[in-house]
Amino acid sequence: MSKFQNICKKIAELSPNIRVSEARGCIVLQGEVGNWETAVKAGQLAVDKKRYLGVINDISLKGFVQNQRLPTEQDKSLDDERPDVLIIGGGITGCAIARDMSKYKLNTVLVEKGPDVASGASRANGGVIHVGINFSKHSQKHYYNIRGNRMYAGLSQTLDVPFEQKGQFLLCCKGWERLVVELLRLHGRSMGIPGVRWLDREELLKHEPCAPDYVVGGMYMPIGGITSPMEMTVALVENAVKNGVRIFLNTAVSGMETENGHIVSVDTNRGRLYPRLVVNAAGVYADKIAEMAGDRTFTIHPRRGTDIITDKKAGYMVKTSMEKSPFSILPYQKAQVTSGPFGSAKAILAALHSNTKGIGLIHSIHGNMLFGPNAVETPDREDTSTYRDEVDQIIEIQCHVATDLKASDVIAYFTGVRAPTYEEDFVVRKGVFTDNILEAAGIQSPGVTAAPAVAADISKWAVEYLAEKMTVEKNDSFDPVRHAPPRLAQMSDEDRDALICKNPDYGTIVCRCEEVSKGEILDALNSPVCVPTLDGIKRRLRPGMGRCQGGFCAPLVAQIIAEHQGTSLSSVKKNSAESIVTYGETKGAAQ
Amino acid sequence: MIHTDVIVIGGGPAGLAAAITAKRAGAQTLLIEREARLGGILKQCIHDGFGLVRFGEKLSGPEYAERFIHEFHEENIEALTLTFVTKIKKTDDGFVLSAVNRSGVAHLSAKALVLATGCRERTSKQVFIHGTRPSGVFTAGTAQHLINLLGQMPTKKCVILGSGDIGLIMARRITLEGGKVEGVYEAKPTPSGLTRNIYQCLHDYGIPLHLSKTVTKVFGADRLTAVEVCSVDKKMQPIEGTNEIIECDALILSVGLIPENELAESLGIQIDPRTKGPVCDEVLMTSADGVFSCGNALHVNDLVDYVSESGECAGKAAAGFARKERMELSLSVGENVQYLVPQRLNLNAEDLKTVLYFRSREVFGKCSFVMTVDGVEVFRKRYSVLRPPEMERVEYDFGPLGLTAESLVSFEIEEA
Repeated sequence: MSKFQNICKKIAELSPNIRVSEARGCIVLQGEVGNWETAVKAGQLAVDKKRYLGVINDISLKGFVQNQRLPTEQDKSLDDERPDVLIIGGGITGCAIARDMSKYKLNTVLVEKGPDVASGASRANGGVIHVGINFSKHSQKHYYNIRGNRMYAGLSQTLDVPFEQKGQFLLCCKGWERLVVELLRLHGRSMGIPGVRWLDREELLKHEPCAPDYVVGGMYMPIGGITSPMEMTVALVENAVKNGVRIFLNTAVSGMETENGHIVSVDTNRGRLYPRLVVNAAGVYADKIAEMAGDRTFTIHPRRGTDIITDKKAGYMVKTSMEKSPFSILPYQKAQVTSGPFGSAKAILAALHSNTKGIGLIHSIHGNMLFGPNAVETPDREDTSTYRDEVDQIIEIQCHVATDLKASDVIAYFTGVRAPTYEEDFVVRKGVFTDNILEAAGIQSPGVTAAPAVAADISKWAVEYLAEKMTVEKNDSFDPVRHAPPRLAQMSDEDRDALICKNPDYGTIVCRCEEVSKGEILDALNSPVCVPTLDGIKRRLRPGMGRCQGGFCAPLVAQIIAEHQGTSLSSVKKNSAESIVTYGETKGAAQ
Repeated sequence: MIHTDVIVIGGGPAGLAAAITAKRAGAQTLLIEREARLGGILKQCIHDGFGLVRFGEKLSGPEYAERFIHEFHEENIEALTLTFVTKIKKTDDGFVLSAVNRSGVAHLSAKALVLATGCRERTSKQVFIHGTRPSGVFTAGTAQHLINLLGQMPTKKCVILGSGDIGLIMARRITLEGGKVEGVYEAKPTPSGLTRNIYQCLHDYGIPLHLSKTVTKVFGADRLTAVEVCSVDKKMQPIEGTNEIIECDALILSVGLIPENELAESLGIQIDPRTKGPVCDEVLMTSADGVFSCGNALHVNDLVDYVSESGECAGKAAAGFARKERMELSLSVGENVQYLVPQRLNLNAEDLKTVLYFRSREVFGKCSFVMTVDGVEVFRKRYSVLRPPEMERVEYDFGPLGLTAESLVSFEIEEA
């Protein structure tokens, strides 16, 4: 039986309603199923990286319609534009690409569907700069992760973004796991991951004094780090804009006109553009964009991940980032392990194959403890809801690793929708069927780590492509350096005093939990990519991210925004244009 | 650096009372307030009912505050407004504060401190509400700020979760402004707010109160479009199949207040897990010598009159603070008592006349508040009913008891 027939057989066993075919080097699935698990399972069964470019899984879920949030703005501000490069997607990948493009004298435009950069998975993750020891040696994930990891310290310094490289830990509870760690160390070395080693409990406690009692030691991976993905994305896009890139928020691509494998024009809610080259960094919609361009070889199957944040007071429970080794069966898990000689082995295998891996604890760059994420397949590309059972379960699991953790330590939780392909790898490549597109798709974890490396390749290919059509010159005035606006809470009293003397607004504290001043909010409103919404300010400066979650400061921040923008208080929004905060003045406003 | 005897942090009702009392007791006093105006949360409490105990009249929040602000100015007490304390350092003879305001970072020193930092509201995430992240989820205090201070209408049609007093007050307020309140939902089987507020704010306006029901989920991608409510079991867990969707544009939360003690914690002050405020003695001194606590930072009060009273107690003690040998005795409470303030006595104090504040853990009909020393009953007060939302106040002089550090002083509520 051929490989294709084999796939057909397996899928037929799964569901009779799925049609399997081959087209343009891809394996194509079509039909309608009654539950999403079946659709995902079929996609997974169809993966054959050796023989096919990828899986095109067009199986629909009965009764499900994607509710896509689109910007309501309609104008002609981009109509007839002829940019050299059009980047679709303002996540960390798109923004990193935009910055790299700004090293050249090119007309580069970035469009983002959401009301802010990093509106999708880029923001909703733990900010870990990954080690990547679990990736396959031949994967793009590994290739870009290890390169990205090496770039992070330098990039963070240049862009004035906080970055800590204190390492990452895998906690082990059985002595024999030391052997596994040794194997991983050798594997890591062959992948170019330096410094991996076993630490005995005593040594481990120096790094992680709150490691639970049952931990006998662990694998230390010194190249692991922590960033603030939001701040990094903002820094990248600000630097790109400073160096000449134009960014359009609330701008969605609705279609493309192609001709003989060439994108002629791109339609948006701000008019029709005629770009020379398109970069697809569209996150969960990357397969839709590739489809429009006639270059689709993959399918994004959205995967929801929820993370939980604690009060900074609980931040002491983890100093770096740590997770339980998948081999360790904790006392609470024993009840779930079937007895018999293979019970433990089965549990370990199940753990290894689960997408949740070991959910980890992270000391966030701002000092909170962050833990998660889980991993739930969903047909809905925009379902950033949180669910009671999932959050309860994450807390339940983490109580066994962060043993002091109480439910009352939790101040917030959020969900991001990741954008994996069925091949579970990045799709960073030149167009296969379309000449003027570059794909930066399938970017899930470790996308934050990989972004600078992905951007380096994409921009290199972009320049190579454009150089055949036009003269591409270096941008002599490119300034790689970006200075972050001052953060007064982190300063010494003397420095703080000096700044306040220059600008008294730095002395008016607006957010008491995170100690954010009016001056800092005004800085954000005057920044190169101003997002004058409550969330825009919150994401940049954190008022509203502390323990009161904006209860005290939100009305104050709204007032500052209204004053700065010269608008009424009721026109200040939370996030999107429809996310009204107040309905206007009292006495009649509610009629 | 400015030197003074007493620094009061917080210019709400507790801080104002503390500063006035400290000044009158002869101490040089400075008050620090982070907002532009004195009065604290009273500024936005434009409903009446304040001052019944203290003044025998029904005042609005701003009126109540104004009486103290007037006295405060009459005493010529210095106040630094729009000033935020970022750090407190313990020194040999007192404390040095770093305070940020529009003139820069000031360093201020004092012999004694009164922490009158108030409380904050529990948020939707702290009561584990799930769903999307739309606009339109407000704590009751934030809604009150928007309506009463900024004149902005945050909702046309809302659901209120929690029957705490602010939630009840806001139900009436929103109704008066022309908004519709679909209902007040309370996860507990009994209301959390004062009985008078249940009548005056809900019954009088035909707003339904749903007990043993909670909000579990919010909907809406941009602005909130609906909430899901569920009945809860005795453990307050949602019961499957009882969910109901209510269309509205806002969810207003009145789900509890948490004393703000981040500054106290930075000094390593011991916090009582029951009150979430500092463990204090009969003059409201915390576990740190020279640091006093009062008002809602000490424990969440139901009436502002008691907030002022505790401020006066702390202010007076702070003015007379002198480091002396202490003999401490912890007061213990039984299961039926939710909490007791103060939590301990300094037996070396000259005067042990003490104001005790307590709350019952649940609703008790005919019952007694009983105090025993080494198992022997020494005090009993009878109540026809005790409700957790209603704080009780008892005056008692421990002096004549001749307590020693080994005495076991215990409080319990006995059902009749």
